[in-house]
Amino acid sequence: MTNASEVLSSIQSAFPGAVLDSRVESDRRLWATIDSKKILDVCKHLTAKLDFDHYSGSAGVDWMARNEMEVVEIMTSHGAHQVVAMLKVKTPRDNPSVPSLVPLYWNANWYEREIWEMLGINMEGHPELYPLLLSDPLVGSWPWRKDFKGYPDLTTGERAVAITTPEGYTDYYFPPTQAEVEAGTVVAERPKYPTFLEREEREIKSDSEMIMHLGPQHAMVPGPFLLDILVEGERVKKAFLDIGYIHKGIEKIMENRSWLQGITYTDRMCYVASLTNNECYCGAVEKILGLEVPERAQYIRVILEELSRIQSHLIGTGEFLTLIAGVGFAPWQYMIIDRERIISLIESVTGARLTHTFVRFGGVRNDLPEGFAEQCRKDLPYMKSRIEEFIDLFAQDPIYHARMENIGSISPETGKRLGCSGPVLRATGVAYDMRKEDPYLVYPELDFKIITGTRGDSADRIDVRLREMLESIHIIEQCLDKIPSGPIKTEAKIPKKVPAGEAYYRVEDPRGEMGMYVISDGGDKPYRVKVRGPFYATFQTLTPLLEGVYIADAVAIAGSMDGCPSESDR
Amino acid sequence: MLKRKMIKNFTWPLKTATREIEVTRLYPEFMMNLPAAERGIHELDATICIGCGTCARVCPNSCIEMVNFKFGSPLKNKKMQFPQIDYGRCMFCGLCVDECPVECLKMGQKVTMAGWTREDIIKSPDFLATKRFSAKEVADLEAEAKRIAAEKAAAKKAAAKEGAAKEGAAKKPAKEGAAAIKNGEAKPKEGGAA
Repeated sequence: MTNASEVLSSIQSAFPGAVLDSRVESDRRLWATIDSKKILDVCKHLTAKLDFDHYSGSAGVDWMARNEMEVVEIMTSHGAHQVVAMLKVKTPRDNPSVPSLVPLYWNANWYEREIWEMLGINMEGHPELYPLLLSDPLVGSWPWRKDFKGYPDLTTGERAVAITTPEGYTDYYFPPTQAEVEAGTVVAERPKYPTFLEREEREIKSDSEMIMHLGPQHAMVPGPFLLDILVEGERVKKAFLDIGYIHKGIEKIMENRSWLQGITYTDRMCYVASLTNNECYCGAVEKILGLEVPERAQYIRVILEELSRIQSHLIGTGEFLTLIAGVGFAPWQYMIIDRERIISLIESVTGARLTHTFVRFGGVRNDLPEGFAEQCRKDLPYMKSRIEEFIDLFAQDPIYHARMENIGSISPETGKRLGCSGPVLRATGVAYDMRKEDPYLVYPELDFKIITGTRGDSADRIDVRLREMLESIHIIEQCLDKIPSGPIKTEAKIPKKVPAGEAYYRVEDPRGEMGMYVISDGGDKPYRVKVRGPFYATFQTLTPLLEGVYIADAVAIAGSMDGCPSESDR
Repeated sequence: MLKRKMIKNFTWPLKTATREIEVTRLYPEFMMNLPAAERGIHELDATICIGCGTCARVCPNSCIEMVNFKFGSPLKNKKMQFPQIDYGRCMFCGLCVDECPVECLKMGQKVTMAGWTREDIIKSPDFLATKRFSAKEVADLEAEAKRIAAEKAAAKKAAAKEGAAKEGAAKKPAKEGAAAIKNGEAKPKEGGAA
């Protein structure tokens, strides 16, 4: 098995002088600063020679004091080895520019667009450098830079000036006030690019084609996002995705809150998976602090995260099946009734139904209450029987099969290339699960297998989720037997100021691979928090998947991804 | 074939619907059972609150404000400042409870807090305090606080005098004397501010 130091020596021998600085944190983490001229060659080498076939994302960091900016490329592998290579590329702060990795990895597209619109780092060679999360009037203010002064207040209706567009619609314009111009919150110079509408309309080639809007409020993915499909007859010719409707700027907010307060914000990225979000953030900070979590706390975390996975899969599956209505029965109600039991179990420990704020640095908030294990042993066999019934029902419903089978199929190779993860990737047959890939907590001690599908279509995605719930129940049952007594919080005192350092921590979210890249500069607040969300990666795969399908299947494909725009927009 | 297969999908809901009777919760006629860990409205033990303001500082939404309240312990809480919580902003994360050094703030099972105006859901310590002193107890405690402060001031004065006498009259007697008087004045004032 390859380890981090071998990867480093391989890069150094292949490209002498390319590695400017390096640090081997452990066998599974490599931090290296690469010369920006050689980054493309290094990545090519990693992919070709060292099985780094998964481009996991990238993060931009603004180092204002050092007068430079940094783009961190996160390279991992789909099961060949467990090394995560964090490759940093530096660029001067005035006129920042780094080479784009889109020619090598298709899924680098969105990550680099985000870095460009948020930090103003130009991506050389990027084919479509358009804003992704920000709305057009705000592009050019580079909000994630450290010297960003804040947006102008666009919320007051009195300031709005109505203008009539050439098409006859009314649009609104907010003229900046003198105070805002002086404060520097107004965008001085907006970059030129075609807007979303212009990009769409460019693609209309004949009179028989038209654009159909699905969204910004559409039930196929619970949350606002715009999916425009270019249709000719019943066929989708091209799909356009516009996200950012609920961009909350959580990463920027967390830079302005203390370390402890940050936990509450991770809850709000995706409320059905808030425990794994907590875990991801706390795990990253624990790594920087070098904290050891007591074993009992680790078991409690595993129990709750698996319970949370069950309820997330139940709501994801049930909600989606309402969309392809007419499948003979309405599983949504039954799934939501069952989910209530799981939620009650979680609530009895955390004290909240959805936004738990439960995981703490070096432990958990509460211990398991009296009678929790008994209640679990009563509820879990029931859940098991119900899920088996669901699997049975889906397996024999002909309408369900007609709507779901061989719809939106992804081959394992395509799945790897598109960079999706979680049940979407596992349905294609690639056994890629963070619980095995990058083991955290007590998962190595537990017995469970990774559920995979065969066809990679919509039906398989649902099937993988349902069978994963059975696996989660199996994990919880083991945990209840094995859980030791002891403290639930570390003895060590958690300092208000976290020592300078950086960490990348990955967990298996109900939707897939979730990673958080946390940087501390020794202050009482994080210097930078980058969330590599699972649905962000899966969302990106939607546009190529929709090309050539029927309009009705667009909903079946998008819904089976079990999406959460709130998490992808952050 | 198709019809036979479909039958189970219709019988199963019928079976389930008759088996699971109670799904709807009859709130507000019947309050559901909430777990002991439930994070509801705060419960303030005013008798042990020291008024340090840690809860106000740690709150991510800054919904806690320290305000004056009469029925606490002037011995522990010299400024008689207690948390007032704006439930319009509170997200029930529980950080204030975790960070409280004397564990005087807890979250209980009470969850109803609707009001007609925004001001209605800003809950003062008077609403939050489940444990408090009566007016008479407060008066007694205040008197005791005054007595202790006076004793302390007297002791300090005596110590200062002794020190001054020992070191000799030439070394800054005026300054030390002034400091002692200041302390003596300041202490009872704080206790009486409530």
